[in-house]
Amino acid sequence: MNPARSNILSRIRAALRTETPRPLAPTDALIWPPVGNAEPRFRAEFTAVRGELLDSAQQLREFLKAFPKIATDGSALVRQVAGDGTATSREADIGITGCDCLVAQTGSIIVSTRASGGRALSVLPPVHLVIARRDQIVPDLAAAFTLLRQRYDGHWPSALSLVTGPSRTADIEKVLVMGAHGPKRLALYFAD
Amino acid sequence: MTASARQFIRAATAKAANPGHRAILENNIATYDTAVALGKTRYASWENARSVAAQIKWNAVNHLGLYLEQFERAVVKNGGRVFWAETAEDARCYIVELAQQRGVHKVVKSKSMVSEEIDLNAAFAAASIESVETDLGEFICQLRGEPPYHIVTPIMHLTKTDVAALFHEKFGTPLTATAKELAGVAREQLRRVFLSADMGVTGANFLVADTGMVALSTNEGNGRLSVSLPRIHVVVAGIEKVIPRLEDLAVLWPVLAQVGTGQTVTSYNTLVGGPRRDGETDGPVEFHVVLLDNGRTRLLADVEQRDALHCIRCGACLNACPVYKNIGGHAYGTTYQGPIGSVITPHLRDACEWSHLSYASSLCGACTGVCPVRIDIHHHLLHNRRNAVQRRFDNPFQRLAFKAWFWAMQDATRYRVASKLARLAMRSGLALPFLKPWTQCRDLPVPPARSFRDWWRREGRDGPPGRPNSSGAARPAGAPYQQHK
Amino acid sequence: MRVALFIPCFVDQFCPQVATAMVTVLRRLKVDVYYPPEQTCCGQPAFNTGYWEEARALARRYCEVFADADAIVSPSGSCVAMVRNYYPELLNAGVAAPVPGASHRAAGTAATTPEWQRVCANTFEFSEFLVKKLGVTDVGARFPAKATYHDGCHALRELRLKEQPRQLLRRVRDLELVEMDKAETCCGFGGTFSVKFPIISCAMDDVKIASIQRTGAEYVVSADSSCLMQIDGYAKRRRLPIKTISLAEVLAAT
Repeated sequence: MNPARSNILSRIRAALRTETPRPLAPTDALIWPPVGNAEPRFRAEFTAVRGELLDSAQQLREFLKAFPKIATDGSALVRQVAGDGTATSREADIGITGCDCLVAQTGSIIVSTRASGGRALSVLPPVHLVIARRDQIVPDLAAAFTLLRQRYDGHWPSALSLVTGPSRTADIEKVLVMGAHGPKRLALYFAD
Repeated sequence: MTASARQFIRAATAKAANPGHRAILENNIATYDTAVALGKTRYASWENARSVAAQIKWNAVNHLGLYLEQFERAVVKNGGRVFWAETAEDARCYIVELAQQRGVHKVVKSKSMVSEEIDLNAAFAAASIESVETDLGEFICQLRGEPPYHIVTPIMHLTKTDVAALFHEKFGTPLTATAKELAGVAREQLRRVFLSADMGVTGANFLVADTGMVALSTNEGNGRLSVSLPRIHVVVAGIEKVIPRLEDLAVLWPVLAQVGTGQTVTSYNTLVGGPRRDGETDGPVEFHVVLLDNGRTRLLADVEQRDALHCIRCGACLNACPVYKNIGGHAYGTTYQGPIGSVITPHLRDACEWSHLSYASSLCGACTGVCPVRIDIHHHLLHNRRNAVQRRFDNPFQRLAFKAWFWAMQDATRYRVASKLARLAMRSGLALPFLKPWTQCRDLPVPPARSFRDWWRREGRDGPPGRPNSSGAARPAGAPYQQHK
Repeated sequence: MRVALFIPCFVDQFCPQVATAMVTVLRRLKVDVYYPPEQTCCGQPAFNTGYWEEARALARRYCEVFADADAIVSPSGSCVAMVRNYYPELLNAGVAAPVPGASHRAAGTAATTPEWQRVCANTFEFSEFLVKKLGVTDVGARFPAKATYHDGCHALRELRLKEQPRQLLRRVRDLELVEMDKAETCCGFGGTFSVKFPIISCAMDDVKIASIQRTGAEYVVSADSSCLMQIDGYAKRRRLPIKTISLAEVLAAT
C-alpha cells in the first residue's frame, strides 16, 4: 500500500478536527410535486426526451423491418417479443434489451449488465429498443433506487445506467443534435 | 505582480475588448438561461433541492475519511483497485505506468476536469500513447490544441462556422455542414477509436461510498462507451467527489442536470462498480480508481472555506458571472475557471501566484445565488483577499495607500481635510494622472465645491421640513447629473 | 424615533445632492433626522481589498458613532450591506451573519456586546426604511420622464431589496417605469475592481448600457450612487443620451 493513502487520510483526520456548522437545513417542503398517475407521466416524459413509444405489436413489426441486423440480450421477454438476434452488438443496426425499471418522474429507463445483456448492447448499436412491462414503471428516482437495492444489494451488476432519451449533444452553439456517440434512437415497447 | 496575474490581465483585457467574443458567449448563455428557467418550473421547491444537496455534500466532506475508506473497501470487494495519489505527478505516473505495463497504445477519455488538472494527455503523449478525447466539445478542443473553455461546455467560445472550418481542414467535410452533420462526422471518427481503444479513462461526477460505485453523467454516451469497450477502465477523481449513499443521487442527479444544462436529468447517468463480474458478457477486465488529493486536503483544513469542496462542477456560477461572460474561460489560465475556480485555485496551487483571480470580481454575488449546493462563493473571494493581505502578497504601494486612507478615516477632522484636498486635486486637474485607470474608458464627474456635511453644518441642520430645492439640495427634475471634465 | 443619517463618504464628498434629497423626503414625511458629524466611512473599501484589521477598527467606530440612534438611514445599498451582513463577521468571528446563501461562519469564541449588534440591525437603506419601517410607498413625488431601474448588487442580493425601490417609483406621478432585460446584471463598478481591472469593468458597463438603451428610457435610476457614477461615466464617454439619477433625487422631486 503506498504511503500516500495514510498521508492523505491523516491529513483529512487532522483537518476535520474542527467541524463546520451545517448549512441551511432543508424544510419539509417537497422538492418536486407528486408524480401522480405514473404511466401517463412516464409516457409524457419519455416522449419529451425524444423516446419513441411503440404502441402495438403491429407498430413493433413495422419498426423492426428497418433494421436487418439485430442483436438481443437473450432474455425471455425479448425473445418472446422479438426472437433471437443473430448479430453482435458491434455489427447490429439495433440492440433489443430488457430493463430493470422505468422511472416516471424523468421518463427514464434503467438498464444494467444483468437486465440488459451486458454493457455495450444498450449503447453501441445506433438504435436501442427496450421491451418492458407496465408493472416495471416506478414513480420517481427514489423509488427506483429502492427497487434496485431490493433486487441487487450485496450482488450488484458491474454497471447500471439511467437512460433518458437517445444520445445528444448541444456542444456546437447550443444547437441540440440528437445522436452523438450513444444510440440515435431510443424506442420502447410494452409487452403486456 | 505575479507572472500569472500579468498574463491574466493581458488575456482578460483582450477578450473583454472583443465584442464578437462577448456576443458568442452571450448567445450561448442566453440559451442556457432559458433552458434553466424552464427547468425550474418542474420544481415545487428549488430552494429545498439546494438545501438537501448542500446537506449531502456537507455530510460527505465533513466525514471525508470515513466515506473514502468505505468507498475503497467496496471497490476492492467488487474486484477493483484503488490508488491514492497525493500529487498530480503521482496520479499521472500511476496511470501512464499502468498503461505501459498493460501494453496500452490507445486511450479514450471521457470528460474529466481532473485529467486536465493533472495534465494527463501530455503525459500520455510523452509516453507515445495516443489519447483521444471523446466528448464532442473536448474532441474539438483537442483538434485545436486548446484547453476547454468552460468546465461543462468546452467550446462555448466557438461558432458552428468555426467548427465547420476545423472539420473541413481535418476531415474534408464541407464548410456548409450543419451542426447535425458535424456531430455525425465526430461520431464516425470516434466510433472507430472506441472500438479499438485499449483503455478508457474517465472522471467521476460522484463516488458512491456505500456501494463502491463511480457515477458518470454524459449526454453523448461517450462515458458509457468508454467504460464498456476497452479492456481497462481507469477513473481519476478528486477525493471530494465521494458521497455517502446511492440514494443521494435521487437528488444530486437531477440538480446537477438542472443547473448544468436545464435538463431534468442528463441523458446517461451511469454507475460503474468494478470490472466485469463473473457471468457478464462484456466490460473491462480491470477497474482502477485513482483518488487525487493535489491540495484538496489543504482546502479541507481551511474551516472557513471548506464548503468550496462541496462543488459538483455544474458550471452554474460560470454562467452567472458577469466577469466570466466578458472574458471567457481561457483568460483564467488555469483548469478551474469562473467564480469557484477563483476561490479554489489559490488552495490547490500556489496562493501567491493565483490570488489575483479573487480580486478580478466585482463581488456581485450572482454566483452564490445560483450555486446548487449553497457554497458562499463570493464571500470566499473576500476571504482569499484577506488571506492575501495577511500573507503580505499585496502590493507595497497599495498597503501604504490603505494605511494612509485608514489614518484619515479614523477621525472626522482628518477625514474632512483629506477629502477636501482630494476634491481640490480633482477639480484642479492635479489628480488626473492617478485617475487614469478610470478615465481611460469613462468620464469622471467634477466633484462639487461643497460636501454634504458642509451643507448640513451651514443650513441643513435647521432646514425647514419637507421643502425641496433648499439651496444646493435636490436639483430640478431633468437637470443633468453632474458637470464633467 | 431618533433617526440618524449615515451618509457614505462617497456620497458626502462626490454627490451630496443624493443625501440632501434623502433629507428632503424624510422631512416631508415628518421624520426628525440628525447627522452625527463624527461619522467617516463604513470601512468597505478596506474590507473588500482584504485589509480587515483596518475595516474592523472602522466598524467599531461606526457602532460607537451611531450608538444613540433608534434607526440609521443611508442612501447606499453597499454600505448598509457592509454594516448588516459583514460587520458581524468582522466584529465577532463566530456569530452567524444573516447573509443570503451563506453556509456558515467559522466557529469561534464569542466576545459579544449586544450593543453593536443592535446598531447594525438598525441600519437601513433609504428605500428599505421608507417601505419596510415607515410603511410608506407614496412620498408625494413627481418626475415626468421615462425611466428604468438598475438593481445594485448589494441592495439586490445582500439586502434582498428588489421590490421596494420599484414600489416607491410606481407611486411617483408622471413617471413611466420600464424594466430593462438585464436589470440585475452587475454594472461593473465593484469598488477598486473598477480601477484594478478597468477593461473588464467597462465591458460589464457596456453590457449594462446596451440593456438600458433597449428600453428607450431617458433616465436610469438606482439606489447606489457608485453604480450611477459607473454608468454615467461610460455613457458620457460614448456620448449617449442616457441620464443617471439617484432614487432619492427622484423621490425628492415635485
